[in-house]
Amino acid sequence: MAYRWGMVVDLDRCTGCEACVTACHAENNLPTVGADEAARGRAMHWIRVERYWEGEFPDVRVKFRPVLCQQCGNAPCEAVCPTYASHQNEDGLNAQVYNRCIGTRYCGNACMYNVRFFNFFHPQWEKPLQLQLNPDVSLRESGVMEKCTFCVQRIKAAKSAAKAEDRAIADGSLQPACAQACPAGALVFGDLNDPESRVARLSASPRGSKLLEDLGAEPKITYLHRQGWHESNA
Amino acid sequence: MTPMDRRRFLKVTAITGTSAALARCGNPEHQIIRFVPEEELTPGIAVWKPSVCPLCNAGCGVLARVMDGDAEVFRNGEAGVTRMGLPRKLEGDPAHGVSQGRLCVRGQAALQVTYHPDRLASPRRRVGERGSGAFEDITWDAALTELIGRLDTLVEAGNAGQIAFIGRPRRGRRAELVAEFLRRIGAPAPVAFEFFDDAVIRRANELSFGRYQLPTIDLARTHYLIGFGADFLGTWNSPVAHGAAYGRMRQGQPGTVTKFVQVEPRMSQTGASANEWVAVPPGTEGVVALGLAHVIMRDGLRPASAAGRAGAMVEGFAQGLAAFAPADVERYTGITPARIERLAREFAANGPAVAVIGGPALAHTNGLAQALAVNALNALVGSVDVPGGVLFTPTEVAPVGPPRSLREVVGGAAAPQLLLLDEANPVYASPPGWHVADLLQRVPFIVSFGAFVDETSVLADLLLPDHSFLESWTESSPESGSADAANATAPPAMHPLYDTRSMPDVLLDVARRLQRPLDPPLPWQTFDEMVQAPTTVPAMPAAPSRAPDTPRAWADARFDGEAGTYPFHFLPYASQALLDGSLAHLPWLQELPDPLTTAMWSAWVEINPGTAERLGIAEGDMVEITSAHGSVRAPAVISPGIGPTAVAMPAGQGHDTFTRYASGRGANPVHVLAPLDEPETGALAWSATRVRIARVGAADGSLILFAGATRERPDHHGRG
Ligand code: SF4
Ligand code: SF4
Ligand code: SF4
Repeated sequence: MAYRWGMVVDLDRCTGCEACVTACHAENNLPTVGADEAARGRAMHWIRVERYWEGEFPDVRVKFRPVLCQQCGNAPCEAVCPTYASHQNEDGLNAQVYNRCIGTRYCGNACMYNVRFFNFFHPQWEKPLQLQLNPDVSLRESGVMEKCTFCVQRIKAAKSAAKAEDRAIADGSLQPACAQACPAGALVFGDLNDPESRVARLSASPRGSKLLEDLGAEPKITYLHRQGWHESNA
Repeated sequence: MTPMDRRRFLKVTAITGTSAALARCGNPEHQIIRFVPEEELTPGIAVWKPSVCPLCNAGCGVLARVMDGDAEVFRNGEAGVTRMGLPRKLEGDPAHGVSQGRLCVRGQAALQVTYHPDRLASPRRRVGERGSGAFEDITWDAALTELIGRLDTLVEAGNAGQIAFIGRPRRGRRAELVAEFLRRIGAPAPVAFEFFDDAVIRRANELSFGRYQLPTIDLARTHYLIGFGADFLGTWNSPVAHGAAYGRMRQGQPGTVTKFVQVEPRMSQTGASANEWVAVPPGTEGVVALGLAHVIMRDGLRPASAAGRAGAMVEGFAQGLAAFAPADVERYTGITPARIERLAREFAANGPAVAVIGGPALAHTNGLAQALAVNALNALVGSVDVPGGVLFTPTEVAPVGPPRSLREVVGGAAAPQLLLLDEANPVYASPPGWHVADLLQRVPFIVSFGAFVDETSVLADLLLPDHSFLESWTESSPESGSADAANATAPPAMHPLYDTRSMPDVLLDVARRLQRPLDPPLPWQTFDEMVQAPTTVPAMPAAPSRAPDTPRAWADARFDGEAGTYPFHFLPYASQALLDGSLAHLPWLQELPDPLTTAMWSAWVEINPGTAERLGIAEGDMVEITSAHGSVRAPAVISPGIGPTAVAMPAGQGHDTFTRYASGRGANPVHVLAPLDEPETGALAWSATRVRIARVGAADGSLILFAGATRERPDHHGRG
């Protein structure tokens, strides 16, 4: 059976620490754009942690929400791409073919989650920072759109290793960089087609919901909301 | 080469991922020396090598993903290119008891320490005026000859006592070597300096529990948690271990929902995850703990005697803390008596319940009393050395021990004659009243082992750069973060890139070449040999070591600055990305959006919305913060997480000299701090300064937020 990769983000575990953010940079060769470009809104973070203040001092609370590409089953970013650079692959992932992308940025406008990032210039690594680059991940040039791939290079490697041994990828043995780094274990990745996988079971949690679900993009990331404490829990 | 050419040149390099084009400027490509590879590698195949994250004292075990690649290196005095194993990514080591396969945001960025463009590649000698930053390359032979000559002269004249060593509060074999070297040459013990130092909590734990050690909070098994200012999920103590345990606390205890209450004056990243957040004035956190203990004893939920030695350390505890009834607590903190009563009942009824204090709450003149209060509360409900309570990691290596504080050196009548610096940056991170830079100017000879030029090492006469951690033997014997000992030792994960030397090996080499041999000589030839030999330092005893001390009386926190002139409490805090500023040189961390503000590449001042409105300050406006000791300017962030009588500022920016990424960016909150301390430990009371604030200009663009950048602005002023 085909894989259908998905993720659960457990907001009850997430501490807003952002280990996931730097892990993604390191794994996927995201460029650091520098202060001037960042000030123009060009910083790239395939995963970001949104924070929402609620209430006023002193009765104030914060909610964190890691947001990355939701790997939509019915992805608006795909429908608008004139070159099919943004397309659905065989595992149900929204993939981006960099050398097909002509930089119209229609996809970036169509994505309601704001997770696509445009390369406004050639990325640079002041030497020898280029030594940190992951040889398994291609570099994107100026004029190309990019976004979270669920660490597709890891998926490919795990698939070919499993195929060579004629077995399926074991649940939990494959993780994107963000999930691997996350100290709190807030990010759970796996195959939604396997009903026994942790991600499939957690996706069915009554705490679960999807971002902007009513827009019909069929995101494959489920958010589990925080569990409240009441005297009766005790 | 014109600048244009150079940029284009780097571009090619980056895109092709090859270093073939990395010739020195002006050198035609065919003249590059290509060295014979020093190791056998299978192209494109990754191997995993263990190491230890060096960025904080948590000592997380890591695995480096090593793949082959071309690197520009120095070999035998020549620059060239070689094919070598290069770490490309760091992950937590699943076999390590503290990291458990995870890493924090800073540990993820540790790779950039090794590949930093401004890393020192060879020894250097000062040529310009001290502090000018002008250095010239020098050979290791010449550098060591000079250092050994200076040491010989001091030893010969009977002045070995005037050799000083300032490092960071590290543990393990490297620290042991430094201490042994100094002891045997006749110098005073090393000074451990770090801005966010934990001397107060260690001392409190020594008094309360006989353990001079950081605590481990067994979050994974606790049912009720009260934090007092401790940023244990972000920057304090062992954040990876506590983050992992926190995840299990939240969703790993079937049938149990744990309540987490955080008590603090400014919402920390950790406080942001609390079920109930309780705002209190700075320096009164301990009053809340004493108030809870009062109610628990008054209502007969636990007898005072249950707190044992920890209770006996707090004056009035045996009498039920009569001075800390809920009405008294309200007077101090503004918390209603009903709320105190409720929190006390919840805490006593939902065991295992645990309290934790750290960071800003201890950075007060009454920090020790605050910590003792929380320790007594834990002991009262039986939460010490039990599942779900406070644990102490068994360690094979003795703890850092009450270190010699920098104040002893700074306060001494005479400046040392020779100073060895190991990564500590006290010029950047000490309050102006300590006059550290003035003192260092009076030291005739300064040697720095750090890999970067910072505000302190720029004053050095000799720079003897250490290898990066990935090029070194690493070891960790974590002081906290695990119920079991979690020691790790690992050989280098890569060959050194440059003409650097392992600092422990330099010390061993120097020791061997001194005119008058050390007495007795150090028993190791190399650091490899040392890390594989048993420690010479006695293990920390498992049982409480010292006899109970006399009880300490509660003392109100003292603040520097008249409330009339300086109406605001000034609350610096550790930055999630840059920590104390020692990580401000890493571009990944500079560009990390701060968890609570989304600011990148910036320093800022957090101001309550009502205060900002009253003073006519809008988000991004430049604000000047002035204490009796200095002033700094930074853009305003309007934050609902801070009260109307305080302002907060992250540590980390405002470097004058610290690589291209950090120098000249933002402002350093330490510049306004008063030199108040916690008297028993001498620890700087960095939360004890009062300031005034004023708008000094419109937004100048130096506040760079990520939140606005992706078109969504989830929230602006907390009313979104
Ligand atoms: S989240 Fe955005 S980028 Fe990702 S698949 Fe959906 S529409 Fe496309
Ligand atoms: S690493 Fe995990 S806990 Fe930290 S912000 Fe990301 S998802 Fe949340
Ligand atoms: S807590 Fe973070 S910075 Fe500290 S040792 Fe662990 S990974 Fe490194």
